[in-house]
Amino acid sequence: MTDDDLKTLLDDSDNNAPSEAARARAKAAAMAAFAAAGENDQIKSPDTQGNVTTLRPTADNNPSVRRRMMNAINQRWVVSGVASAAVLVMTVSVLMNVSDPVVDTDLAPGREMTLGAASGLEEVIVTARRKQEAKEFSRDQSAGALRQEEYPAAQMAESDLAMADSVAPASPPTERQTFAAVASNESRAPGKVLSAPVPADVVLPGYYQDEGRDQFETIVPNPVKLVAEVPVSTFSVDVDTASYSFVRRQLNQGVLPQKDAVRVEEMINYFDYDYPLPESRETPFKATVAVTDAPWKAGNKLVHIGIRGFDIAPGEAPASNLVFLLDVSGSMNSPDKLPLVKQSMGLLLTQLKPTDTVAIVAYAGAAGTVLEPTQAREKQKILVALERLNAGGSTAGGEGIKLAYQLAKAGFNKSAVNRVILATDGDFNVGITDQEELKGFVERQREEGIYLSVLGFGQGNYQDDLMQVLAQNGNGVAAYIDTLSEAQKVLVDEATSTLFPIARDVKIQMEFNPQTVKEYRLLGYETRALKREDFNNDKVDAGDIGAGHRVTAIYEITPVGSASGLIEPSRYSQAEAPAAGQGSEYGFLKIRYKLPNESTSKLITTPVAVKDSALVENKVLERETGFAIAVAGFAQLLRGGQYTGDWSYQDVIDLANKNKGDDLYGYRAEFVQLVRKASVAHDMK
Amino acid sequence: MMMSPDKQTLKRAMDGDGAAFGEVVDICYDSIFRFAMKYTGVRQDAEDVAQLACIKLAQAIRSYRFEAAFSTWLYTLVLNCAHDWYRQQNRHRSDDVEIEHLASPQDSEGESQIYLRQVLAQVEAMGDGFRDTLVLVAGEGMNHAEAAALLGVKESTVSWRLHEIRKKLASAQRQEGLQ
Repeated sequence: MTDDDLKTLLDDSDNNAPSEAARARAKAAAMAAFAAAGENDQIKSPDTQGNVTTLRPTADNNPSVRRRMMNAINQRWVVSGVASAAVLVMTVSVLMNVSDPVVDTDLAPGREMTLGAASGLEEVIVTARRKQEAKEFSRDQSAGALRQEEYPAAQMAESDLAMADSVAPASPPTERQTFAAVASNESRAPGKVLSAPVPADVVLPGYYQDEGRDQFETIVPNPVKLVAEVPVSTFSVDVDTASYSFVRRQLNQGVLPQKDAVRVEEMINYFDYDYPLPESRETPFKATVAVTDAPWKAGNKLVHIGIRGFDIAPGEAPASNLVFLLDVSGSMNSPDKLPLVKQSMGLLLTQLKPTDTVAIVAYAGAAGTVLEPTQAREKQKILVALERLNAGGSTAGGEGIKLAYQLAKAGFNKSAVNRVILATDGDFNVGITDQEELKGFVERQREEGIYLSVLGFGQGNYQDDLMQVLAQNGNGVAAYIDTLSEAQKVLVDEATSTLFPIARDVKIQMEFNPQTVKEYRLLGYETRALKREDFNNDKVDAGDIGAGHRVTAIYEITPVGSASGLIEPSRYSQAEAPAAGQGSEYGFLKIRYKLPNESTSKLITTPVAVKDSALVENKVLERETGFAIAVAGFAQLLRGGQYTGDWSYQDVIDLANKNKGDDLYGYRAEFVQLVRKASVAHDMK
Repeated sequence: MMMSPDKQTLKRAMDGDGAAFGEVVDICYDSIFRFAMKYTGVRQDAEDVAQLACIKLAQAIRSYRFEAAFSTWLYTLVLNCAHDWYRQQNRHRSDDVEIEHLASPQDSEGESQIYLRQVLAQVEAMGDGFRDTLVLVAGEGMNHAEAAALLGVKESTVSWRLHEIRKKLASAQRQEGLQ
């Protein structure tokens, strides 16, 4: 619903002209009150401007208002909690005329909901009865004696009858559902919490925390494809790691993440694999292909593609012109958001050269420059500016982005890396909030040489889908920072990959050989799929690889002759016998990329041999491949294990433990712990 | 927009002139009622609220200070009346009282009226102040600053509330689409 719809809806209400009778009644009542007020004039306090609470026709100053009685009736409703609870309580208190507030408050909201749904018939009856009473009292109460005259007994009975009629049949399931929804929402609304029983041992957080509103793009896992029908698979690389840290956070809290939060490729790419380095600087990265057996399905093979970019030596890093764009809106006001953002930015500062420039833009209800472009050598000045930030207000993210780009442009350095680093929970709600529009804006800026990286913070209302769109179109990395150690990993240990791109628009195309491969399936990369023809089209944007980045892609294939395939041969159309002669290859791998300052792409090709000996010769590669496969298997299990058969979390742990390697930073050990947690969370379900 | 009487009439009413006060009610009743209509979505409720507001106006008009615009003052008064009325009428908003409203279209009302009530019920369930914000901005055409001043909150709070309302209604619509 748009603002206009809402406005129209409310404006339509203006067609309701007041009725003359009601107007006359109101005027008469007002005139009487006016006269009465004139008499009491002297006792009035002078400071009641706009506040007439003391002057209401209460039982104290107007005996015709039967407020006490009203209150007596209301008391029972007060204790009864949320809407449907009220229905139940009324079943007890109205029909049986028993009111016991202690019993009422003991009902848990969840239980009330189910009971409420079960007692449909009673609900109708009670609804009608209670309605009747409520109306009577409200009439007595609000209109006093005047209204009473307007409603002779007969007319009243009639209208109540009509009311009961209209309620009883008019309770179709849809309306009831709508209502249940409203009621359940109501129980969550902050204002209502007071009336709900709060167990003594629940510690309420001191800050506002949304729950269950994290937004992810829906992912349909890549299906199994028949090589005879679709021999070519094309996708863009993805170096993001956001998914892994988000999943880790959820698992550390003992819950399985929602399926769409698990992007297989981001889980795999979180780890630093020790793939062979490129031989020379001419080619910015090297692709290593290995074929191994699929651990989760006998007969199937996995084609493992490992890409590693060259690393920039610390002294050779290009200059950086960075603009930190920090979200300081009210939603960032929690310990895992703004304070963590400040710490993270402080960490990043340590990785900059003294001559690099940093500017800070903060946005909440409005965007503002916190720090003009400042050289990193003035570290204290930058830290002080960061420290001053406080969270509060709404989120004019769109405006903030614009301002950040303006600053980046002001300090634009052709030979440097010009980058805006956005730190946010993604909840943009003022200004440009439309994803498409933001995307277009970021895209245009990318063309001009200013890139955007996104660091996500917080949970509960994390807008992952928007972050992905922004980072993908801004040639940047989307990372999710849940802890300070994750900030350390992304901004210090991997600062060069995060900051300096070595290849742009990297696309991968795999053509399978129908002679040797029957079916194939790409693990992950669902959000990065490209059309076959886009591979050679340099205008089509794709993912970027930063200095030292590792990218891994895994295909699961069913070789011809294996019985492990999923697709039955067609009864009617005979498959053409594939051309003979290339029986020694599973397929042909092509990678296209552009160097950072070039606009024409270059091509790398590698055949994938059936008799692959890479793993036998290279124990390190075997280990790295094994670990990547363990992560891939884990990610698939978290997504429901559609293709992994009986493979279990324990198998993941075994495979990962076997291939842990040196694990200098302990990420792989942490992974094994995570799998254990997932296993426990899964069993508890 | 709330209609305001001219200053002379207002002054005379404040001095206790019954006829002048009657004039004030005549001038204001329409806009009070229409506002109440948007706020409640139910004719009968709107009439009750409007009547309550007129009574309050009678009692409070002598304390009007010309510090704020009369219309602003009147908005505050009517809003307070509406709050009071809801508090007294049904402590559980959007319970079966509104089921009745939803289920039985009242005579001579359009579909948009029923829809409005559903929207209001959803917005009300979001917490205090959301309905006020919606009706003032979308219904009465106030800008965020005006509504914020009237409600005694920050402008950003008004913007945030409206954003939340939009989000909530959009998600409700999505869910309806799924069913």
